[in-house]
Amino acid sequence: MSTARANRLTPYLFLAPAGIVLAVALFYPICYMVYASFLDWNPSQRIGEADFIGLRNYTKLFSDAAFRESMWVTIKFSAVVVTIEMILGVGLALLLDRNIRGMSVLRTLFILPMMIAPIVVGLMWRYMYHPTVGIFNRTLTDWGFEPIPWLADGDWAFASIVIADIWQWTPFIFILSLAALQSLPASAIEASKIDGASGWQQIIYIKLPLMLPVLIVTLLLRLIDSFKVLEVILVMTNGGPGLSTEILSIRINRTASEFRELGEAAAMSNLLLIILLILTFAMFIYNKAQEVRAQRMRAVEEEA
Amino acid sequence: MKVTKKNVWSAAIAVSLTYTAAYADGHTADVYAPYEGTTLVVNFPAHPHYNAVLDVLPEFTEQTGIEVEVDQLQYLRMRERQTLELTKDEGDYDLIAYVVFSKADYVYADQLENLAKYFMNPRLADPNYDAADLIDGYVANIGVAGGDKGYLPGQTGSLFGIPFGAETSVLAYRKDIFEKHGIEVPTNYDELLEVACQIPEVEPGMGGMASRAASGHQASHAFLLHLAPLGGRVFDAEWNPIINSPEGVAAANALKTIVDCGPEGGTTFGPAEAAAAFQQGQAAMFMDSIAFASGFEDPSRSTVVGNVGYAMHPEGVRRGSQTGGFGIGIPSNAQNKEAAFLLMQWLTSKEQDLAIAMAGGNPSRFSTYQNAELNEKFPYSATFGEALQYADPDWRPIIPTWGTINADIGTTMSQVLTEGLDPQEALDGVAERARATMDEAGYYTWQ
Repeated sequence: MSTARANRLTPYLFLAPAGIVLAVALFYPICYMVYASFLDWNPSQRIGEADFIGLRNYTKLFSDAAFRESMWVTIKFSAVVVTIEMILGVGLALLLDRNIRGMSVLRTLFILPMMIAPIVVGLMWRYMYHPTVGIFNRTLTDWGFEPIPWLADGDWAFASIVIADIWQWTPFIFILSLAALQSLPASAIEASKIDGASGWQQIIYIKLPLMLPVLIVTLLLRLIDSFKVLEVILVMTNGGPGLSTEILSIRINRTASEFRELGEAAAMSNLLLIILLILTFAMFIYNKAQEVRAQRMRAVEEEA
Repeated sequence: MKVTKKNVWSAAIAVSLTYTAAYADGHTADVYAPYEGTTLVVNFPAHPHYNAVLDVLPEFTEQTGIEVEVDQLQYLRMRERQTLELTKDEGDYDLIAYVVFSKADYVYADQLENLAKYFMNPRLADPNYDAADLIDGYVANIGVAGGDKGYLPGQTGSLFGIPFGAETSVLAYRKDIFEKHGIEVPTNYDELLEVACQIPEVEPGMGGMASRAASGHQASHAFLLHLAPLGGRVFDAEWNPIINSPEGVAAANALKTIVDCGPEGGTTFGPAEAAAAFQQGQAAMFMDSIAFASGFEDPSRSTVVGNVGYAMHPEGVRRGSQTGGFGIGIPSNAQNKEAAFLLMQWLTSKEQDLAIAMAGGNPSRFSTYQNAELNEKFPYSATFGEALQYADPDWRPIIPTWGTINADIGTTMSQVLTEGLDPQEALDGVAERARATMDEAGYYTWQ
């Protein structure tokens, strides 16, 4: 009896260390944040001294026009950058998936932007966007055009942060797509060639569908990342002018450090977490559905 | 029992010896003897004044035997670090420089030492300190809390810090440009706004006045700079927001005029960018903190050395230049409080205030501004001393909710400057949101 019981418990015993690490390293901080979001907590107080105020932080957020604005800016920013980056990244990968001399050097060069520290990227772009001495406006005036108020006008500032983000993160999508392309079964592509598929047809009917699982994961990673981007925008515009580039993570940062409302900042972080969880689940479900459909198709084919 | 007795005796002998030595020597070096070998950890901002302080600090160690370790941070980062440090049981910092608007938070959370007990301690307090010589507007703004409105001096107030690296606002202008076009130095706001927009016409490519205007704190600072002299306030005596008064709208319009007629890209300027624009000859005027003055005279950074004149902050319906910058205080969780007080007293003494000013820092004392040697080295000192008589300690409220309201003023002002939002509408919105914030914080409990 006792041996059987011991045998049954053994797997749990082996799992325990991992479980403990997970609980301490992952769940504790998240629970801490969730708990903090119910507090009226000033950074000058210890967490124990803060008052419990229930859902007030959340209700305050939903009635706060500045928060809604920053939510909208975040969604707009993520949608725009991820779409453009996916198109550019995958496009580049399709173009460069061939044997050119010096390809490995080129590939390394392409991924340089994402290796630069975000603060430096922010500073670099900020100087390039400088109204008088920046390279863009100097070039424009040299060519006889009107200078553009890159960071000084709301719409342009938004475009400017989008450009900087695309510059930095397209390589990420490029490198993952390239890896996916190169691991595609050569047989499928050869078969399509023999069947007389054109280049475009190969891409649309063979390569992209086969790459899809990788692309979805890449998209998801980029989406999560773009919801959390902070440093580059912080350095470039600090959320201005007005609230035009104040994405959620800047709002959270300001709420915590400038407004000194840690509870409210935690509530915002929780909302951000929930949005990202929903996105992740949606992707996951979509992926699963695709797999199930593929299996069914295969089953149907086999029957036939 | 015996042992205890022996200890008491040896302590008594030690004390009397110390005193004899102090008297025999005839100087105060032995005040510091009990703290010799102590290492003080201080937290200072990266700021021209504190860079000058670093030049004189080795002298302190030499005179007293107390080592000083300086942790220098960008000023907003400094505040974040302090917020964490001050909640610990035992803090790492013995002396901190704090931004003026931290006064409210730190005093409210009981994180700064009340300095009374140090100034009462005959072994620590220097009888020749001459506190009356400290610039009163600065002390009121940065040092004292607990009096009028809670953040100002008054019958119930007491001292928590000493101004150190404090600042007021003056108008810096290009003497050469003004002379070339026969422009008079503006003394009131009408003239100021007129000149600001006249410059770009007579001197193409040059902006009138470089001003802070970036979204957030900077735009708010720039707006408040004009609000006080134009007769406005953020709150009335009962904490009702009156920022949307006609004076408030006038201040917003003044800022908009200044930015519109200012150097290109001005709406993204922080203080450093605005100062750089003036330094590089892209603007004919710059009205901001006196801390930038030494930079304008530095030939390695400035193209306008020798061409900069200074005048008092122009008058609106009243005179009111800003007060701000930094003070130094002792954290409640400091581990070497007495030695920290000695350092604080030494740094703000007449001799060191002058030495730091000579190295390019901002004086905290009237006597320093009157010093002939300093006036010879920095001819603008006399103007600054005069401007300080009108320094307004109440040009912005220093209350715990200020962070939120300040940021709201700043982002809204930025919308006025860049998106053409109507100033009255903008300030009405600010007032409404400020009321909600103040209500939540309990400021209307007694109404």
